[in-house]
Amino acid sequence: MDWFSYLVAGILVYIAVAIFILGITFRIYQWFSVNRSSVKLGMFPKPKNRWARGFKLFKDTFLYPQVLGVDAAMWFFVLLLHFGGIAAFVGHLRLFNEFTFIANALGDEGMAKFAMWSGGTIGIILLVSVTYLIMRRFKSPYKDLSTPEDYLLLVLVLVILLFGNHLRFFGDVHVAEYREYIHSLLAFRPAFPEAIVESSTKWVLVSHVLTSNLLFIYFPFSKLIHSVGTFAGNLIRSEV
Amino acid sequence: MDEQARQTIAGEIDKRMNRQLLYYLDICTRCSICKDACHQYVTTGDILYLPAYRAEIIRRVYKKYFTRSGRLYPAISEGLEVDDRLLDELYKTAYACTGCRRCMYFCPFSIDTTWFMAIAKAMLIAAGKGSKILTELAGAAVIKGENIDLFKDIIAETLKDTEKELQERVGDPKAMIPIGKKGSELLYVALAGTHTILPTAVIFHQAKANWTLSLFEAANYGYFLGDVKQATQIARRIIDEAKSLDVKEIVITECGHAYRVVQFLYETWAKEKLPFKIRGIVELMAEYIKQGKISIAQGMIKEPLTYHDPCQVGRNGGFYEEPRYIIHQVAADYREMTPNREKNWCCGGGGGLVAQPDMDDLRIQTGARKVEQIKMTGAEIVVSPCENCRLQLDSLNEKYSMGIKITSLMDLVAGAISG
Repeated sequence: MDWFSYLVAGILVYIAVAIFILGITFRIYQWFSVNRSSVKLGMFPKPKNRWARGFKLFKDTFLYPQVLGVDAAMWFFVLLLHFGGIAAFVGHLRLFNEFTFIANALGDEGMAKFAMWSGGTIGIILLVSVTYLIMRRFKSPYKDLSTPEDYLLLVLVLVILLFGNHLRFFGDVHVAEYREYIHSLLAFRPAFPEAIVESSTKWVLVSHVLTSNLLFIYFPFSKLIHSVGTFAGNLIRSEV
Repeated sequence: MDEQARQTIAGEIDKRMNRQLLYYLDICTRCSICKDACHQYVTTGDILYLPAYRAEIIRRVYKKYFTRSGRLYPAISEGLEVDDRLLDELYKTAYACTGCRRCMYFCPFSIDTTWFMAIAKAMLIAAGKGSKILTELAGAAVIKGENIDLFKDIIAETLKDTEKELQERVGDPKAMIPIGKKGSELLYVALAGTHTILPTAVIFHQAKANWTLSLFEAANYGYFLGDVKQATQIARRIIDEAKSLDVKEIVITECGHAYRVVQFLYETWAKEKLPFKIRGIVELMAEYIKQGKISIAQGMIKEPLTYHDPCQVGRNGGFYEEPRYIIHQVAADYREMTPNREKNWCCGGGGGLVAQPDMDDLRIQTGARKVEQIKMTGAEIVVSPCENCRLQLDSLNEKYSMGIKITSLMDLVAGAISG
């Protein structure tokens, strides 16, 4: 591993993960260190019981059905982005350990094809949805309201996706080598296996990791914290 | 404006900070879904009325004065300094907001813009730039509360004619409008004038209710002004009166914000638990009909009739079915507005706008959605249990030449009482 790769795909990964976890913890601490107003802000009709309130929270947080009624295109692309993001996260878990139950069912070749198709589809879906959100930012009234942070985050995610899709569609490194790299990180001895070092896509991987690190570092201090706070916000909606 | 003044004005954000507000400051993604929810933005296209922008102004001031990033690199975080231009913008956006919370319904994070507007108003008041007319009206209400003995005789005198009208309507020379009757079961809080007293008195007479009329009007201009201290003082007049008369419940007339203030906000503001029940007259009328305490001439209104859900009665008050139940008793041709209930459009007159002459043009322009809704029903009568809504609907009726009749639920019920 050259010194730059070691710094970015090694040391910085630990720093980014630490800042991500501590940052989110700090933000939650910040919220809880301020007193709640005892005014009930919920709107009517209110859910009839705790189960109904929980269901409503789940529905409003993950499906935001109200948005469909006023901006169907936004609803569609944001839904793609969020579920695509969750799917991408799950897909990356394969780099830690093989999904043996699927691999056993499909066989090695079938698994590789499945990963190629599912990962590729998700990569494209994410790219399309982020592109939509970026284009939307350049239209009024969204552009009049947008802050540098709004563009920065979208561009950062776009770049991560471009590198990720490059690795998926044009990379010559296989999952076993990526897994070896991830395991080296887990063992606190970050190193690229020979196949990555010699690969032409090594710098794409380093760039993918670098931009992902930046996103992880910025995440807790940006509006992406809505991914945590949305639960609290949507719970307020049905306060009784 | 000197630095100390800026700090004092911005300090209102810190003073009013709470956990819910901090969530809102942190989680808004500026997706602007709310743009299609606000009747003011939809009808004007002015970004000042876009709910996310309304909140963003406060967020930027907060960043400038209360976050490290805002202090260190305000250009990137877009921190906003308090100055006259900002205060002008705050005035236009805050005193224009009707507080309907339709944006909160559609927001994927359920962000309540009215909290940002409450802060904006507090900042304006700290800068000595609160709405003049609302300041005067709130001040007058406070003075009345402090000098109620001076007003008692005038109120009693004014009510003599109304009492005669009541006696004629119900055919009972002993029918009364009681004031200050100790031990009454309920204290009815009406609005200034007699238009919300007479129909209710007819209903109470028929229901044989043990009631008394409050010396105070339900409207709370301190709430519209954004001055929590005055709003509390104004509401406290009613609470203290109810305590002194030892009533079992307070019944608020058809006035959305007045009900919301006493039912949902007063206990937090005054830091006291109320020893009696608070109800809206709509709920009570529905109960009277269901219990057979008043009998209604079924379907006596033949003209097509529609119902406007006032934001503070429906979305923010919880009464969707009671008014409809009452209307179904009286009207033969009821037509539902689209959308309705929690998705209903604000009429454009709430939040004290009908009391602010400088907002007249705006509220007429932004009432266009409501006009479209009403026209689509083909109704000739519009019922709404909120004084602000009715005043706004009256204005819309005149300006848009709609040729409709606007009425309260109380009048509808009082006019349909049989037997």
